[in-house]
Amino acid sequence: MNDKLRAFSGQLVAVLIALAMGAVIIMLIDESPIKVFMTLMRGAFGDQAKIAGTLLQTTPILICGIAACIGLRGGMFNVGIEGQLFLGGFAAAWVGFAMPLPPGLHVVVAMAVAVIAGAAWVSIPAFFRTRYGTNEVVSTILSNYVAVLLTSYLTIFLFKRPGGWSETPPILASAYLPELFAFSRLNWGLIIGLVLALFVAWFFRSTAKGYSISMVGSAPKFAEYGGIDVKRQGFLVLLASGAVGGLAGGIETLGVHHRFMEGFAPGFGFDGLIAALLANGSPIGTIVTALFFGALRNGSLLLETDTNASREIITVIQALIILSVSAQVLMKRRGDSTAGERRWKF
Amino acid sequence: MEILSLFNVALLVATLRMTAPILLVALGGSFTTKAGIFNIGLEGQMLVGAFFAVLGSIWSGSALVGVACGVAAALVFALAFAVLVVSFRANEVVVGLALNILAGGMTISLMKAIFGTRGSIVGKGIVGLPKVQIPGARDILGSWAPLINGFTPMVYVAFIAVPLLVLFYKRTRLGLYIRVVGEKPEAAEALGISITRVRYIASLLCGLLAGLAGAHLSLGYITMFTENMSSGRGFMAVAILIFSNGNPLKVLAGCLLFGFADAFSLRLQTFGFPSYLILAVPYLVALTALFALSYRSRPKIIRETLESMRKLLSVDNKPAEFGK
Repeated sequence: MNDKLRAFSGQLVAVLIALAMGAVIIMLIDESPIKVFMTLMRGAFGDQAKIAGTLLQTTPILICGIAACIGLRGGMFNVGIEGQLFLGGFAAAWVGFAMPLPPGLHVVVAMAVAVIAGAAWVSIPAFFRTRYGTNEVVSTILSNYVAVLLTSYLTIFLFKRPGGWSETPPILASAYLPELFAFSRLNWGLIIGLVLALFVAWFFRSTAKGYSISMVGSAPKFAEYGGIDVKRQGFLVLLASGAVGGLAGGIETLGVHHRFMEGFAPGFGFDGLIAALLANGSPIGTIVTALFFGALRNGSLLLETDTNASREIITVIQALIILSVSAQVLMKRRGDSTAGERRWKF
Repeated sequence: MEILSLFNVALLVATLRMTAPILLVALGGSFTTKAGIFNIGLEGQMLVGAFFAVLGSIWSGSALVGVACGVAAALVFALAFAVLVVSFRANEVVVGLALNILAGGMTISLMKAIFGTRGSIVGKGIVGLPKVQIPGARDILGSWAPLINGFTPMVYVAFIAVPLLVLFYKRTRLGLYIRVVGEKPEAAEALGISITRVRYIASLLCGLLAGLAGAHLSLGYITMFTENMSSGRGFMAVAILIFSNGNPLKVLAGCLLFGFADAFSLRLQTFGFPSYLILAVPYLVALTALFALSYRSRPKIIRETLESMRKLLSVDNKPAEFGK
């Protein structure tokens, strides 16, 4: 517990350092950090609708974060969540508009197809990673670009809504993910995300399979001597991570947009990865960090209109947070030169 | 007949032109690759290079100052990378990705703060790099002249850098140190080479070339900056570095492949193929090459390095230290 507390306080200090650096940058672009901060807070938690909006932004970040957690715990860097999100989103929308099914079943099938699409998209990098050791970071990053272009192509050239602009036809009402409140588009996706986080946390904490995945992630040699099929497991870990990434996309299209459109979810995959890194690969911690980033994202919408800062300033802050988290180890344990290397190894 | 040959030359010229930025950034990455650092941050260094090159060019009215600004910005990013990865021993993937994200967010924020626009900076007095005219080229080569004539300076820099880097790794002490540090850090340590110092130098050299690559993007053939204009070239460079192991000649081969894919896909676009699929071609080429060549390993190279290390040390009259 003490260890956990220390880890948490360490992350908190890192966040504060990053916020301070962010404040300096905001001053450099001639804007008051306090004004930006207040605008962010107002944009994120100002009223009922704003809070719901924050939770709406949190949902995909959380689910992508869980996808990243699964990979990180198993020693795999899935940087392709963005691409899996796009593929999953498109696949769910396709089932939604092209395949009439009874209500209830329709949503389930659409989400299942999103999950399959995400897993399928990561399967090639996963295969080469585990079979030939091809660096999964590069292959998944590159496949993001392909995924975005491919879904754009499918949307604009093959499935364009007549008269619409770079979007598919709307999905049928039977495929809508039910909304939670009348005043917001906030939907069951958030609940799914929370349950999934709890499930993954439980899985890693309490099941033998979860333990063996964590072991492969933290000490692959040891795991191999212990008789674990490291390659097979790594493949499955990436597949699971991709599947959850696809689910995130499916929930976005079925719950929020009710169609697939070009650039429907920019950067959620990367936000999720950052949230997972900040939470040190813990799914429960990712709930907190995803909420934090969701609030930043939703608050940043007001930045554009109310201040001179652009909303990308929050991207800067997020990056600074990760950089200061990665640097803080040495400040704390100066004597241990390998502390930083061991960090992020989960 | 005449038209056909012109078409071919034009395609070759376009290939060389498209190769240059990715070649520059990949050669930069070869320093870090050889020094044993996996540098996924190339993308971000290139992007800030492109942005600050435009900024410097507007402020000073000189393309050269612009290039210097771009390089300086990329060096700052490279230094941050080195501090975190080499001194703080943070995870290189995490740091590299974070710096890339930082570069993306920072350039857009600054663009909004300085120019009040989103999307891109066009005009505003950006001075692009001049095109180099080699005297007499047209007389000697005729219609083939565009192959060596009329590129922006960075194209020449990129291609000249290849043999220079080959010599650098083979013949200079620093080049050798970089290789030893990358391949056998324990040996380097035993020989009294400062791993930290060598890795810092490699990172900064990498930043230098990545900055040049960025400047070429925004001041070369198009004089503008757009959001995320490096569009994954840094990542393609990393893919090339993985299967080339940072070897300059192999890097050149890989980059020419990409330059050709780029140039060829632009051609296809004019024939009415869907642009989205065409745009995906370079990434698909990168992925295919990465997967196809990924089973290669590298024990051979280590032996070569030890061989040349032995030679260098015996020139220094210190044979005893190397256990001869």
